[in-house]
Amino acid sequence: MDYQNSQEGALVRRAQSGDEAAFREIVERYQSKVFSIIHGIVRQRNDVEDIAQQVFAKVYFSIRNFDFRSSLITWIYKITVNECFDYLRKRKVRRLVYESDLSEDEVRRVENTEPPVDRQPAADVTLARRDYVVKLLARVSEEERNLLMLKEVEGRSVEELAQITGMNENTIKVKLFRARQKLVKAAQRLDRAPGLVAG
Amino acid sequence: MHQVILNRLEEYLSGAPSPREFTAHLESCEECRAEVRGMQELSSALAALRAPEDVTAPPGFYARVAQRVDRERPRSLWSLCLLDPAFGKRVAFASLLTLAIFGSYLITRETDYAAGPTNPAAIMAQREPADNPDVMLATLASYEP
Repeated sequence: MDYQNSQEGALVRRAQSGDEAAFREIVERYQSKVFSIIHGIVRQRNDVEDIAQQVFAKVYFSIRNFDFRSSLITWIYKITVNECFDYLRKRKVRRLVYESDLSEDEVRRVENTEPPVDRQPAADVTLARRDYVVKLLARVSEEERNLLMLKEVEGRSVEELAQITGMNENTIKVKLFRARQKLVKAAQRLDRAPGLVAG
Repeated sequence: MHQVILNRLEEYLSGAPSPREFTAHLESCEECRAEVRGMQELSSALAALRAPEDVTAPPGFYARVAQRVDRERPRSLWSLCLLDPAFGKRVAFASLLTLAIFGSYLITRETDYAAGPTNPAAIMAQREPADNPDVMLATLASYEP
Protein backbone atom coordinates (compact mmCIF):
# COMPACT_ATOMS: atom_id res chain seq x y z
CA MET A 1 0.00 0.00 0.00
CA ASP A 2 1.48 3.37 -0.94
CA TYR A 3 1.65 6.22 1.55
CA GLN A 4 -1.18 8.20 -0.01
CA ASN A 5 -3.60 5.31 0.60
CA SER A 6 -2.36 4.56 4.10
CA GLN A 7 -4.20 5.50 7.27
CA GLU A 8 -2.01 8.57 7.67
CA GLY A 9 -2.55 9.49 4.02
CA ALA A 10 -6.31 9.51 4.68
CA LEU A 11 -5.74 11.71 7.72
CA VAL A 12 -3.76 14.18 5.62
CA ARG A 13 -6.43 14.25 2.92
CA ARG A 14 -9.06 15.03 5.57
CA ALA A 15 -6.88 17.88 6.87
CA GLN A 16 -6.38 19.11 3.31
CA SER A 17 -10.14 19.34 2.87
CA GLY A 18 -10.37 21.57 5.96
CA ASP A 19 -11.31 18.99 8.62
CA GLU A 20 -10.25 20.63 11.90
CA ALA A 21 -10.43 17.32 13.81
CA ALA A 22 -7.90 15.81 11.40
CA PHE A 23 -5.58 18.77 11.92
CA ARG A 24 -5.92 18.36 15.68
CA GLU A 25 -4.98 14.68 15.33
CA ILE A 26 -1.86 15.64 13.35
CA VAL A 27 -0.83 18.17 16.03
CA GLU A 28 -1.36 15.69 18.85
CA ARG A 29 0.44 12.91 16.98
CA TYR A 30 3.59 14.94 16.23
CA GLN A 31 3.78 17.66 18.89
CA SER A 32 6.29 15.71 21.04
CA LYS A 33 8.53 15.11 18.06
CA VAL A 34 8.43 18.77 17.07
CA PHE A 35 9.21 19.88 20.63
CA SER A 36 12.16 17.46 20.71
CA ILE A 37 13.59 18.76 17.42
CA ILE A 38 13.29 22.37 18.59
CA HIS A 39 14.84 21.53 21.98
CA GLY A 40 17.78 20.00 20.14
CA ILE A 41 18.49 23.13 18.10
CA VAL A 42 17.29 26.08 20.18
CA ARG A 43 18.46 26.55 23.74
CA GLN A 44 15.94 29.13 24.89
CA ARG A 45 13.26 27.05 26.59
CA ASN A 46 10.88 30.02 26.67
CA ASP A 47 10.84 30.22 22.89
CA VAL A 48 10.36 26.51 22.20
CA GLU A 49 6.58 26.60 22.43
CA ASP A 50 6.39 29.75 20.32
CA ILE A 51 8.39 28.08 17.54
CA ALA A 52 6.30 24.89 17.85
CA GLN A 53 3.09 26.93 17.49
CA GLN A 54 4.52 28.61 14.41
CA VAL A 55 5.46 25.22 12.94
CA PHE A 56 1.91 23.87 13.30
CA ALA A 57 0.39 27.13 12.01
CA LYS A 58 2.55 26.67 8.91
CA VAL A 59 1.46 23.04 8.66
CA TYR A 60 -2.18 24.20 8.84
CA PHE A 61 -1.81 26.82 6.11
CA SER A 62 0.34 24.73 3.76
CA ILE A 63 -1.12 21.25 4.19
CA ARG A 64 -2.90 21.67 0.85
CA ASN A 65 0.54 21.84 -0.80
CA PHE A 66 1.66 18.56 0.78
CA ASP A 67 2.11 16.23 -2.20
CA PHE A 68 2.73 12.86 -0.51
CA ARG A 69 6.24 12.61 -1.98
CA SER A 70 7.58 12.17 1.55
CA SER A 71 5.95 11.09 4.78
CA LEU A 72 4.10 13.72 6.79
CA ILE A 73 6.66 13.66 9.61
CA THR A 74 9.53 14.25 7.15
CA TRP A 75 7.65 17.26 5.80
CA ILE A 76 6.95 18.54 9.32
CA TYR A 77 10.59 17.90 10.22
CA LYS A 78 11.75 20.17 7.38
CA ILE A 79 9.35 22.92 8.44
CA THR A 80 10.56 22.62 12.04
CA VAL A 81 14.27 22.82 11.19
CA ASN A 82 13.65 25.80 8.90
CA GLU A 83 11.65 27.57 11.60
CA CYS A 84 14.44 27.00 14.13
CA PHE A 85 17.10 28.46 11.87
CA ASP A 86 14.81 31.31 10.90
CA TYR A 87 14.33 32.04 14.60
CA LEU A 88 18.09 31.95 15.24
CA ARG A 89 18.75 34.23 12.26
CA LYS A 90 16.14 36.76 13.43
CA ARG A 91 17.50 36.66 16.97
CA LYS A 92 21.00 37.34 15.66
CA VAL A 93 19.77 40.29 13.57
CA ARG A 94 17.82 41.67 16.54
CA ARG A 95 20.90 41.42 18.72
CA LEU A 96 23.14 43.08 16.13
CA VAL A 97 20.66 45.94 15.61
CA TYR A 98 20.32 46.41 19.38
CA GLU A 99 24.07 46.29 19.96
CA SER A 100 24.78 48.71 17.09
CA ASP A 101 22.95 51.39 19.12
CA LEU A 102 25.14 50.84 22.18
CA SER A 103 28.64 51.91 23.01
CA GLU A 104 31.33 49.25 23.50
CA ASP A 105 31.11 49.62 27.29
CA GLU A 106 27.34 49.21 27.21
CA VAL A 107 27.61 46.09 25.02
CA ARG A 108 30.08 44.59 27.49
CA ARG A 109 27.76 45.42 30.40
CA VAL A 110 24.73 43.90 28.64
CA GLU A 111 26.67 40.74 27.83
CA ASN A 112 27.66 40.41 31.46
CA THR A 113 24.07 40.77 32.67
CA GLU A 114 22.57 38.22 30.23
CA PRO A 115 21.34 35.02 31.87
CA PRO A 116 24.12 32.45 31.99
CA VAL A 117 22.25 30.08 29.65
CA ASP A 118 22.54 32.66 26.84
CA ARG A 119 26.35 33.01 26.85
CA GLN A 120 27.30 29.48 27.64
CA PRO A 121 30.96 29.21 28.63
CA ALA A 122 33.11 26.16 28.05
CA ALA A 123 31.90 24.75 31.40
CA ASP A 124 28.96 23.10 29.71
CA VAL A 125 30.64 21.30 26.85
CA THR A 126 27.42 19.90 25.39
CA LEU A 127 25.75 23.27 25.07
CA ALA A 128 28.89 24.91 23.70
CA ARG A 129 29.17 22.12 21.13
CA ARG A 130 25.55 22.49 20.13
CA ASP A 131 26.02 26.23 19.70
CA TYR A 132 29.02 25.62 17.51
CA VAL A 133 27.21 23.10 15.27
CA VAL A 134 24.20 25.38 14.88
CA LYS A 135 26.50 28.19 13.73
CA LEU A 136 28.07 25.88 11.17
CA LEU A 137 24.74 24.58 9.91
CA ALA A 138 23.54 28.14 9.39
CA ARG A 139 26.24 28.43 6.72
CA VAL A 140 24.98 25.71 4.37
CA SER A 141 21.91 25.71 2.16
CA GLU A 142 18.49 24.66 3.41
CA GLU A 143 18.63 21.42 1.40
CA GLU A 144 22.09 20.53 2.68
CA ARG A 145 21.06 21.32 6.25
CA ASN A 146 17.98 19.12 6.03
CA LEU A 147 19.95 16.22 4.55
CA LEU A 148 22.64 16.47 7.22
CA MET A 149 20.08 16.74 10.01
CA LEU A 150 18.11 13.75 8.75
CA LYS A 151 21.28 11.69 8.37
CA GLU A 152 23.19 12.68 11.50
CA VAL A 153 20.53 13.75 13.97
CA GLU A 154 17.63 11.55 12.95
CA GLY A 155 19.85 8.63 11.99
CA ARG A 156 18.27 8.04 8.55
CA SER A 157 20.21 5.92 6.08
CA VAL A 158 21.21 6.97 2.57
CA GLU A 159 18.52 4.63 1.18
CA GLU A 160 15.86 6.27 3.34
CA LEU A 161 17.01 9.73 2.27
CA ALA A 162 16.76 8.62 -1.35
CA GLN A 163 13.18 7.47 -0.75
CA ILE A 164 12.25 10.65 1.09
CA THR A 165 13.67 13.03 -1.51
CA GLY A 166 13.08 11.03 -4.68
CA MET A 167 16.77 11.35 -5.61
CA ASN A 168 19.00 8.36 -6.28
CA GLU A 169 21.45 7.15 -3.66
CA ASN A 170 24.54 8.39 -5.50
CA THR A 171 23.10 11.90 -5.73
CA ILE A 172 22.40 11.81 -1.99
CA LYS A 173 25.97 10.69 -1.29
CA VAL A 174 27.43 13.47 -3.43
CA LYS A 175 25.15 16.10 -1.84
CA LEU A 176 26.03 14.91 1.65
CA PHE A 177 29.72 14.92 0.78
CA ARG A 178 29.55 18.52 -0.51
CA ALA A 179 27.58 19.59 2.56
CA ARG A 180 30.18 17.99 4.83
CA GLN A 181 33.00 19.68 2.91
CA LYS A 182 31.29 23.04 3.39
CA LEU A 183 30.89 22.36 7.10
CA VAL A 184 34.58 21.48 7.45
CA LYS A 185 35.57 24.71 5.65
CA ALA A 186 33.14 26.74 7.75
CA ALA A 187 34.58 25.16 10.89
CA GLN A 188 38.11 26.08 9.82
CA ARG A 189 37.05 29.69 9.22
CA LEU A 190 35.18 29.82 12.51
CA ASP A 191 38.15 28.40 14.41
CA ARG A 192 40.42 31.02 12.86
CA ALA A 193 38.07 33.90 13.74
CA PRO A 194 35.72 32.77 16.50
CA GLY A 195 34.48 36.30 17.14
CA LEU A 196 33.05 36.64 13.66
CA VAL A 197 29.87 34.71 14.26
CA ALA A 198 27.56 35.61 17.08
CA GLY A 199 24.98 33.00 17.84
CA MET B 1 38.95 13.15 -1.96
CA HIS B 2 39.38 9.99 -4.01
CA GLN B 3 36.41 8.11 -5.43
CA VAL B 4 37.09 4.95 -3.43
CA ILE B 5 36.56 6.93 -0.22
CA LEU B 6 33.66 8.97 -1.51
CA ASN B 7 31.75 5.80 -2.46
CA ARG B 8 31.88 4.39 1.07
CA LEU B 9 32.11 7.57 3.15
CA GLU B 10 28.53 7.55 4.47
CA GLU B 11 28.75 3.92 5.62
CA TYR B 12 32.10 4.64 7.26
CA LEU B 13 30.78 7.71 9.11
CA SER B 14 27.76 5.70 10.25
CA GLY B 15 30.11 3.19 11.85
CA ALA B 16 29.44 0.35 9.40
CA PRO B 17 32.39 -1.97 8.66
CA SER B 18 34.42 -0.75 5.68
CA PRO B 19 35.85 -2.91 2.91
CA ARG B 20 39.59 -3.59 2.81
CA GLU B 21 40.03 -1.37 -0.25
CA PHE B 22 38.64 1.60 1.70
CA THR B 23 40.81 1.21 4.80
CA ALA B 24 43.91 0.50 2.72
CA HIS B 25 43.44 3.73 0.77
CA LEU B 26 42.81 5.68 3.95
CA GLU B 27 46.06 4.39 5.42
CA SER B 28 48.08 5.35 2.38
CA CYS B 29 46.49 8.71 1.40
CA GLU B 30 47.24 11.55 3.80
CA GLU B 31 44.87 13.98 2.02
CA CYS B 32 41.85 11.66 2.27
CA ARG B 33 42.73 10.75 5.85
CA ALA B 34 42.76 14.41 6.94
CA GLU B 35 39.49 15.18 5.18
CA VAL B 36 37.72 12.12 6.59
CA ARG B 37 38.98 12.97 10.08
CA GLY B 38 37.48 16.46 9.82
CA MET B 39 34.16 15.02 8.65
CA GLN B 40 34.19 12.42 11.40
CA GLU B 41 34.63 15.13 14.04
CA LEU B 42 31.73 17.14 12.63
CA SER B 43 29.59 14.04 12.35
CA SER B 44 29.93 13.38 16.07
CA ALA B 45 29.45 17.09 16.81
CA LEU B 46 26.13 16.98 14.94
CA ALA B 47 24.94 14.39 17.41
CA ALA B 48 24.81 17.24 19.96
CA LEU B 49 21.59 18.37 18.24
CA ARG B 50 19.77 15.20 19.25
CA ALA B 51 17.22 16.01 21.93
CA PRO B 52 18.33 14.24 25.12
CA GLU B 53 14.88 13.02 26.04
CA ASP B 54 11.37 12.92 24.62
CA VAL B 55 9.88 16.32 25.23
CA THR B 56 6.23 16.45 26.18
CA ALA B 57 4.18 19.34 24.88
CA PRO B 58 2.66 21.50 27.64
CA PRO B 59 -1.06 21.09 28.38
CA GLY B 60 -3.40 23.14 26.19
CA PHE B 61 -0.88 23.30 23.36
CA TYR B 62 -3.43 22.50 20.65
CA ALA B 63 -5.78 25.25 21.87
CA ARG B 64 -2.96 27.79 21.57
CA VAL B 65 -2.06 26.54 18.08
CA ALA B 66 -5.73 26.90 17.07
CA GLN B 67 -5.77 30.48 18.43
CA ARG B 68 -2.63 31.30 16.48
CA VAL B 69 -4.06 29.81 13.29
CA ASP B 70 -7.16 31.93 13.81
CA ARG B 71 -5.04 35.07 14.29
CA GLU B 72 -2.97 34.42 11.19
CA ARG B 73 -5.85 33.35 8.97
CA PRO B 74 -6.18 35.76 6.03
CA ARG B 75 -9.50 37.60 6.44
CA SER B 76 -11.93 38.63 3.71
CA LEU B 77 -13.32 42.19 3.66
CA TRP B 78 -16.79 40.91 4.63
CA SER B 79 -15.51 39.02 7.66
CA LEU B 80 -13.53 42.11 8.74
CA CYS B 81 -16.70 44.24 8.46
CA LEU B 82 -18.74 41.71 10.42
CA LEU B 83 -16.12 41.15 13.13
CA ASP B 84 -15.29 44.83 13.58
CA PRO B 85 -18.40 47.08 13.32
CA ALA B 86 -16.27 50.24 13.51
CA PHE B 87 -14.25 49.09 10.50
CA GLY B 88 -17.51 48.23 8.68
CA LYS B 89 -18.85 51.75 9.35
CA ARG B 90 -15.66 53.30 8.01
CA VAL B 91 -15.87 51.16 4.84
CA ALA B 92 -19.54 52.13 4.36
CA PHE B 93 -18.77 55.86 4.87
CA ALA B 94 -15.83 55.73 2.43
CA SER B 95 -18.01 53.95 -0.15
CA LEU B 96 -20.76 56.56 0.17
CA LEU B 97 -18.27 59.40 -0.08
CA THR B 98 -16.71 57.89 -3.21
CA LEU B 99 -20.16 57.39 -4.71
CA ALA B 100 -21.12 61.02 -3.96
CA ILE B 101 -17.92 62.43 -5.47
CA PHE B 102 -18.18 60.28 -8.57
CA GLY B 103 -21.91 61.07 -8.96
CA SER B 104 -21.40 64.82 -8.72
CA TYR B 105 -18.55 64.61 -11.22
CA LEU B 106 -20.83 62.84 -13.71
CA ILE B 107 -23.64 65.36 -13.16
CA THR B 108 -21.23 68.30 -13.67
CA ARG B 109 -19.99 66.81 -16.92
CA GLU B 110 -23.57 66.33 -18.11
CA THR B 111 -24.45 69.99 -17.24
CA ASP B 112 -21.40 71.34 -19.07
CA TYR B 113 -22.38 69.42 -22.14
CA ALA B 114 -25.98 70.60 -21.97
CA ALA B 115 -24.85 74.21 -21.48
CA GLY B 116 -23.04 74.23 -24.81
CA PRO B 117 -24.02 76.54 -27.68
CA THR B 118 -27.61 76.14 -28.87
CA ASN B 119 -27.48 78.66 -31.63
CA PRO B 120 -27.02 76.93 -35.07
CA ALA B 121 -24.61 79.59 -36.21
CA ALA B 122 -22.40 79.02 -33.17
CA ILE B 123 -22.58 75.26 -33.66
CA MET B 124 -21.56 75.65 -37.30
CA ALA B 125 -18.77 78.00 -36.27
CA GLN B 126 -17.39 75.34 -33.91
CA ARG B 127 -17.29 72.80 -36.69
CA GLU B 128 -14.52 72.63 -39.17
CA PRO B 129 -15.30 74.70 -42.25
CA ALA B 130 -16.98 72.50 -44.82
CA ASP B 131 -15.34 72.17 -48.14
CA ASN B 132 -18.66 72.25 -49.87
CA PRO B 133 -20.76 75.38 -49.05
CA ASP B 134 -23.88 73.52 -50.31
CA VAL B 135 -23.65 71.12 -47.45
CA MET B 136 -23.56 74.03 -44.99
CA LEU B 137 -26.62 75.59 -46.67
CA ALA B 138 -28.48 72.27 -46.53
CA THR B 139 -27.73 71.99 -42.82
CA LEU B 140 -28.93 75.54 -42.15
CA ALA B 141 -32.05 74.95 -44.21
CA SER B 142 -32.90 71.77 -42.30
CA TYR B 143 -32.63 73.59 -38.95
CA GLU B 144 -35.91 73.83 -37.07
CA PRO B 145 -35.89 76.12 -34.03
